Amino acid sequence: MRSWFWTLSLLSLSCSVFALDLHGRVLWNEVCRGSQELGSAKVILYQGKLQGGVKWDGTFTIYDVHPGTYILSVLAHNHTFDKLRIDVSDSDPLPEVRPYVPGTPLSPPSQVMLPYPVLLSARQKNNYFVPRQSFNLLAMFQNPMMIMMVAAGVMVLGAPYLLKSLDPDALEEFKERQAKVSGLQNSIQNGDFKGGLSALMGNDEKPRSTGVSTSHSNQTPTKSKGKGKRR
Amino acid sequence: MFILPALLVFLLPGLACALHESEAGVVDWHKTLVGVPLAYSPSIAPAFHRVHDTANTTRSVILTATGNNVLAALNPVDGSVAWRHVFEPEDPVTAFRRGEDTVAALSGPGGATLRSFNALTGTLLLETRLHDPSTGHLSEPVNVGTSLALQATDSSHPDIIVLTNGHSVRRIDGSTGGMKWGWTSADQTSLVMYTDLATTSDTVYLIGFAKSIQSNTLHVSSLSAITGQLIEDVDVPSHIADGPGDVITLTSSSSVPPRLAWFERGAIRSMLLTPDLKDKPASTKEARYRRIIDVGLATEHGIFVAIQGDGSSRVFKVDEDGPGVNAIWEFADSADSNHYAESIYSGGLDKDGYPYVARLFWSHALGKATAHVFVPHLAEGNGLVAGFTFPFDTRTHGIINHVAIDNVHQGGFQVLTRLFLTTTTGAVQLWQRDTLQWTREEGLATIAAAEYVELPEEKIVHSHRAEAFLERVVRHVKDTKDLPSYLTAFVNRFLTGSYETPSTALPSAANTSGLMTRDTFGFRKIIVVATAFGKIYGLDSTTGDIVWGRVLGLGWAAEVGAAIVPVKICVTRTVADGDTPQVVVVTQRRAENTLVDTVLFHVDALTGEDARHRSPSGEILQGLDIISGPLVDLFFLPGKRVIVLIDEFLGLHLYPDNDGTHGAFAKVASSLYLPLRAGSPGNRRLVGHKVHPNPEIDGRYFAAPLWTTAFPASEDILTVVRPSNAQPVASLGKVLGNRTTLYKYLNPNLLAVVTASKLASKCSIYVVDSVKGSVIYHATVPGVDGVCDVQANLVENWLVYYYYNGEVDGPGQTKGHMMVSVEFYEGTKPDDKIGSSDISSYSNKSMEVSAFEQAFLLPHGVTALASTSTKFGMTTKDIIVATQNHQIQTIPHRLLDPRRPKRKPTNEEMEEMLVQYDPLLPYETRAVLSHKNQVANVRRIVSSPALLESTSIVLAYGLDLFHTRVSPSGTFDVLSENFNKAQLIFTVSGLLAAIIITRPMVRRKRLREKWYQ
Repeated sequence: MRSWFWTLSLLSLSCSVFALDLHGRVLWNEVCRGSQELGSAKVILYQGKLQGGVKWDGTFTIYDVHPGTYILSVLAHNHTFDKLRIDVSDSDPLPEVRPYVPGTPLSPPSQVMLPYPVLLSARQKNNYFVPRQSFNLLAMFQNPMMIMMVAAGVMVLGAPYLLKSLDPDALEEFKERQAKVSGLQNSIQNGDFKGGLSALMGNDEKPRSTGVSTSHSNQTPTKSKGKGKRR
Repeated sequence: MFILPALLVFLLPGLACALHESEAGVVDWHKTLVGVPLAYSPSIAPAFHRVHDTANTTRSVILTATGNNVLAALNPVDGSVAWRHVFEPEDPVTAFRRGEDTVAALSGPGGATLRSFNALTGTLLLETRLHDPSTGHLSEPVNVGTSLALQATDSSHPDIIVLTNGHSVRRIDGSTGGMKWGWTSADQTSLVMYTDLATTSDTVYLIGFAKSIQSNTLHVSSLSAITGQLIEDVDVPSHIADGPGDVITLTSSSSVPPRLAWFERGAIRSMLLTPDLKDKPASTKEARYRRIIDVGLATEHGIFVAIQGDGSSRVFKVDEDGPGVNAIWEFADSADSNHYAESIYSGGLDKDGYPYVARLFWSHALGKATAHVFVPHLAEGNGLVAGFTFPFDTRTHGIINHVAIDNVHQGGFQVLTRLFLTTTTGAVQLWQRDTLQWTREEGLATIAAAEYVELPEEKIVHSHRAEAFLERVVRHVKDTKDLPSYLTAFVNRFLTGSYETPSTALPSAANTSGLMTRDTFGFRKIIVVATAFGKIYGLDSTTGDIVWGRVLGLGWAAEVGAAIVPVKICVTRTVADGDTPQVVVVTQRRAENTLVDTVLFHVDALTGEDARHRSPSGEILQGLDIISGPLVDLFFLPGKRVIVLIDEFLGLHLYPDNDGTHGAFAKVASSLYLPLRAGSPGNRRLVGHKVHPNPEIDGRYFAAPLWTTAFPASEDILTVVRPSNAQPVASLGKVLGNRTTLYKYLNPNLLAVVTASKLASKCSIYVVDSVKGSVIYHATVPGVDGVCDVQANLVENWLVYYYYNGEVDGPGQTKGHMMVSVEFYEGTKPDDKIGSSDISSYSNKSMEVSAFEQAFLLPHGVTALASTSTKFGMTTKDIIVATQNHQIQTIPHRLLDPRRPKRKPTNEEMEEMLVQYDPLLPYETRAVLSHKNQVANVRRIVSSPALLESTSIVLAYGLDLFHTRVSPSGTFDVLSENFNKAQLIFTVSGLLAAIIITRPMVRRKRLREKWYQ
């Protein structure tokens, strides 16, 4: 039963290789106000073999960081942090800290240097949910499609009254133009662009003959008068 | 540049299934677990801890370090987790010490890291490295040579005096983590190793052992607590046979020097610890003791328990006036007996800090557990014992392993004791006297195998016997009592449109007969899980509640002791077979005498009843020893419902073993090819085997080697990934934008194999045809520090694997978490077709395959990955990953499509819905399925189809359990969540109103027109 004693084995004392302790601090901001809100969080380098816990005051230390290039990231459950690039070299007792955008190549390194000790702050609080689409009468009528539909409805209902109040001359003109436009639409639908265009071209010529037509149109008021009588 | 991919992600339909806040906790459930408490040493065993938060009120927590390497605080009121700290696997907790509102914990080899936490909230107050873990002593158990003590100071946080590596002592400032002084034993190579320390306000005593030929001698050193200077260093003439468990340091009050007590050749000896270490050891008169037990009251109360030769126990206390230690109580009837099992001793305190000692034993006669609590300070200091029995259920929770106690003195001789039990099946329970307060099944943190089992439909039970007219009328009249509720339900449903949707909470599970039935959409299933603590459970997949639990019996090994290691769970009978579903749990039993057997447990999945009818319900489940030896591998033939087990001599065993299964197996035996892992760990190879009938024994089969993979000799096989549960394949190909077709390579014999190279820090992943051993795909990825952490998933023609890339070979590269997506298609170009799903593996054509692959960068590391699975396989398959960040996340197939173009997609590609390749898969919080829940250390993810084609149900297990529903293509087969009946009715009635209003108008107009046209 003395095995507990003899199974002890001293691993080879590692020869003193340069390594430094990386210090840093999570700054509290309006996204993350304190350690209670942050919860249990870790700062990791290199997949997670090197890591340090974020303490109550936001400070953290990652011990025994050997020379090399590392990407520092924060494992916090409900907050997102930026990633940083850390370069530790034999010659410099202080590491170099640079911003790092995920997915970008490591070399050439960014020219921007950040201060050491590392300062981090939460970028955003994670939002896991999408809002539910609720039925809202007002919102429904604020929808542009809905507004257009309502406007069209109003037009349909209101057009006869509008037409009635119009000047008979203008009405005649309007009708004519409408006929032309519908003719154009028809010809376009039939693939007869030329016809449609010529109809438009013809449009230009028509005004000259309006003189004739205006005299012609003298009859219309009587017509409309008649209409008015009917009412 | 980074907005674009983010936008694309938003537009993807895969995220159409993002959660609404109201659905959280309804469509999913989460069980926070901490693991089974460790109790191998008093410095790590669970204990009640009381914190005085105001002058009169206290709050207590149960502090425990667990087998899952978690330090946790449980709330004794309801058993919830007050806080927990999950340690890394390479950083095992070795000891923790509690003081006022601080908990200090030492972890890592030799005690490399010291942390301290707030005892009530778990806030990390301090984290400091004491030595490089690689220079730490490795010992068995891990806590030898480490100890810590808290020293109150003027500041709010106590200083921590810590012993590490068996020879270093430091005093750490509790507020800053700075070292006040450090002392290292001058001669580290000597065979003196310190194992414990005792502190007073001005002196630190180190208790160690010096090796001699026969046994160990005590070695004590005293240091100044202020400066860390060595004061005195003596060898105590002693003879310790066993180890640190035989030595206890006792302190009673701050004014009296501590005393060292140890067990030596049947006697209890002790010496006073003064800075000059001049005291001569004293001994008890008789040498009649068997051992001494530290019950956790040694510090501050100076109490321990000694077991006498006949098994009876005495409570000892430091004698402040007289010499050494005195027996102050002897537990009555505590001698060894056949009437009760061996006793467990434990110490605890009450609110005022008085010590209590409990003795707990199982009475065979009563079939109950009994506790005797000794209260030293009552009865005018003479002490008294309060006893009670409580109905501990040994058949569902095994045997009590450890107990921690907490007490309330209710005045007079009334004592109320709370017991915190840890059992051999991994359950923890809190008993208040004889009432059970709560149970936590912490064994679920050690799940080794899990399987979904479908539930039967609820049948409307009508009597089949002929009934007379009158009887029928009576029955109908009786049934009308349900009519009003039916009518209200109908009207309610019709008016409010509150239909059952996939995101509504499900009604309670059990029907009138008490059996579980499935729900409309098939979300409710039974999850059968087997834990490393020898228990199997049936969980309700909609709530996570435990429906049944059975303790696995040890068979013949019950007398020597054994551990049952579950290997796999096979569903041998499903609902489709017309009867209640059954499962077989395949396990290996490792007896203490090193014999390994393969044992099967065959149970009814709905109730947990023994399907072989050998063990009565409620009793321990007895298994079938199918192979008296280890299991090499097993295969399940789902069509035949036969389990094929292969023993170490390559003999095949069938279960169930009857004529039907023999006949069924004989038909398929000639076409069976079994890829097996052969060789010792570190040197394993994949060897393909073919099944042959045994010429000597009729009806027996054996496997003969056929091929060996041509992997380099330096590569060791780590894992073999079989295609995730064979599901129907809905489409055989993918139609491209130019109307050609890429036919999927659907070889049913594919396997993915992960290997590690011993020479270089490299890992390889192979896709192998398991019939002839040919390699279809091979990739080499870097390992991390010689460790291959490659996660892979193979489904249909799609291989996804994850690794960490820590090597940068040239410019333009980066380090990061990589996910590689590979798709296999037939032939070399579109429209090539070889019919890979039906072709013989021996056909030359079977190797005509082209692979599309693409690597992506992930924002976080992945601990487990799996694909979703649906009933007909038509729905897109998404990848579900568990991240280092303790989250479960989905990654849509569209993002992982290896054919994503690296430029702006052409019209044809847009038609295929391909989006431009971006190396980074952005961290999309709305794809996090586990939302606010922390799902820690996930080891495996299992998915199973629901009845709805669109939806897959997913279970993640590891430390925690998390279960949810996923609809990778949106819930296309049910009415949309956003469907709004009110809106529809409103619109329709609006239109109706418009018609009613306009109709007379139109009629009038028509009439007018007819008159005047």
